[in-house]
Amino acid sequence: MGAVKRAIPAEIGGEADVVMDSGGTARRASARKVLPIVEGVVLVAALLAPLLLQDYLTVFATRVIILALFALSFDLVWGYAGIMSFGQALFFGSAGYGVALLARDLDITNIFLVLPAGTIIGLTFALLLGGFLLLGRHPSSVIFVSLGTLTGSYAADRLARGWYYLGGQNGIPSIAPMSLGTYEFTEGPAFYYLVLGILVVVYLLCRFLVRSQFGLALAGLRENEQRIAFFGYKAQHLKAIIFTIGGGVAGLAGSLYAFHEGFVWPNMVGVVVSTQVVLYVLFGGSGTLIGAVIGAVIVEGVSFWLSDNYRDIWPIILGLLLLLVILFRPLGLISFVLGERERVGSFGARAKESVKENRDAP
Amino acid sequence: MANAFVAAFEILSFGAIIVLIVLGLGIIASMMGIFNFAQGEFVLLGAYITYLAYAKGLPIWAGMVAAPFVVGALGFVLEALIIRRFYAAPIVAMLGTYALGLIIRESVRGLIGGFYLTVPEPIGGSIDIGAMHISAWRFTIIVITLLVMAGCYLLLSRTNFGLRMRATLENPSLARASGISTPLMYGATFAFGSALAGLAGALIVPVFSLYADLGLRFLIQGFVAVMVGGVGSFIGPVAGAGVIGTLSAALPWVMAPVVADVLVFVLAIVFIKFRPQGLIAGKGV
Repeated sequence: MGAVKRAIPAEIGGEADVVMDSGGTARRASARKVLPIVEGVVLVAALLAPLLLQDYLTVFATRVIILALFALSFDLVWGYAGIMSFGQALFFGSAGYGVALLARDLDITNIFLVLPAGTIIGLTFALLLGGFLLLGRHPSSVIFVSLGTLTGSYAADRLARGWYYLGGQNGIPSIAPMSLGTYEFTEGPAFYYLVLGILVVVYLLCRFLVRSQFGLALAGLRENEQRIAFFGYKAQHLKAIIFTIGGGVAGLAGSLYAFHEGFVWPNMVGVVVSTQVVLYVLFGGSGTLIGAVIGAVIVEGVSFWLSDNYRDIWPIILGLLLLLVILFRPLGLISFVLGERERVGSFGARAKESVKENRDAP
Repeated sequence: MANAFVAAFEILSFGAIIVLIVLGLGIIASMMGIFNFAQGEFVLLGAYITYLAYAKGLPIWAGMVAAPFVVGALGFVLEALIIRRFYAAPIVAMLGTYALGLIIRESVRGLIGGFYLTVPEPIGGSIDIGAMHISAWRFTIIVITLLVMAGCYLLLSRTNFGLRMRATLENPSLARASGISTPLMYGATFAFGSALAGLAGALIVPVFSLYADLGLRFLIQGFVAVMVGGVGSFIGPVAGAGVIGTLSAALPWVMAPVVADVLVFVLAIVFIKFRPQGLIAGKGV
């Protein structure tokens, strides 16, 4: 990626930058923290939502929160470590299939069993695929990793479609609800708050992770992989670790999704869902955890709102918006309120202006 | 004997279709370093234009001739307006072209609805060799693929235009210093790659019928073929396409289609992992 950092922030609608990282970030010199305010507003809105929404909208909101959790997993991988995972749905969907099989064949629906199981499935698949794609004697090219993950997801989709045991084209319908003792989690406010609680916990863990020394190394990896390697970090290992963690989070989201929707189907592991999550994060703003959440909420929300009346043209509008965001707002919608300094974050006392470059350098 | 011959013909004709689709993808990837996610949609557009000509009562071949020119022109415009901004950043290029592809695909979906529309073969019937019958149109596709391949090769290796194109792509600043208009050459290369996709779409639509996800189906196969063949040359992606096309058509004859489907991708990824430069390494034609 371009090595030159523009000193002057470009205005929206002004001359577009070629490079993704330097287009129009409103840089604020003040030390005012916007991020905690944004996070607080989102949390309060999420807590109040079921009280204000009708029942069927609460069900929709639950789905959005689960997808936000999924978006978080992609953001960890792409926004923080600069690994383009075009196959994130592979972990999401395989965990969904895994817990669906547990519920169907073994009658296991206990929440303390299925959610860890889904997470472990996601972790394992991510470890296998990530280990294969990322590790090795020679560092893999960015293109190889992105096409490799895409191909993995596509192949899994084809496998799920053709494999009778997994239900073929129809997937696995009517999964029993998740249970805790005798209580069953069905769609509604209880499920919503459960999912929201999980999202908050995972969010805080991720926030801790990306603000730690490990996160600092990751940020360095994204900015300039070679330099991090010269410092003595094992860049490939760092990448594999974060890829695996991302897979685990995606697995958790996938198992929640399977139980919430009550069925799993081949699209869930396929390219469609994989690209969907890329859209969320690009819209919201990659490289900030809250950006991923906001992106999922906005894309799903607007899509839900428009799809009643404009079902046919909505995907076209989505494509146009995505193109505009990529061209003019490469850091996503969050960059309207969040400065570059805060986005990168400060680590200890060494809060430095980051010079972004070479995210994609081989 | 007859069965084996029919199988061989099926495999060959599918291989030819993949080669035809990968040609444009490979030229853009090799020469410009961009993995064009909208390529599948250019194929779709070519198919749609052919269908449109047929629906308006024009001869089908007229649509097939028009398709590469229309899609090529669109490619030229898109390159000048949008793709040009992505050269420095391959991942952003993927996302940007994905967005473009989404717009085109959904527009076509809006125009044709969720239907599978059939277009008859301009050359119908079958060719009989003894007791064996092979589809005349599939045979025509093989012939056209061979001709297009040879034409592209000659264009890139023997003509002044090809020389300038290669010069631009290998060393842009030196090419500029030698008086070659590099932006024009980039535009022309992209337009050429898109035109090939349009042609591919026009030729395959009688075989696969027209539906909105037509291009998507071939896109990933195409990418894998380009990577297997090796990015950087003209021959590499073509060789990769031959291998991938042949494998994915041949394997279902010897094992369960589901397993074969997945196995091709797994084999390809493993191959690329251990030989990142692909089948045919190096730059040039």
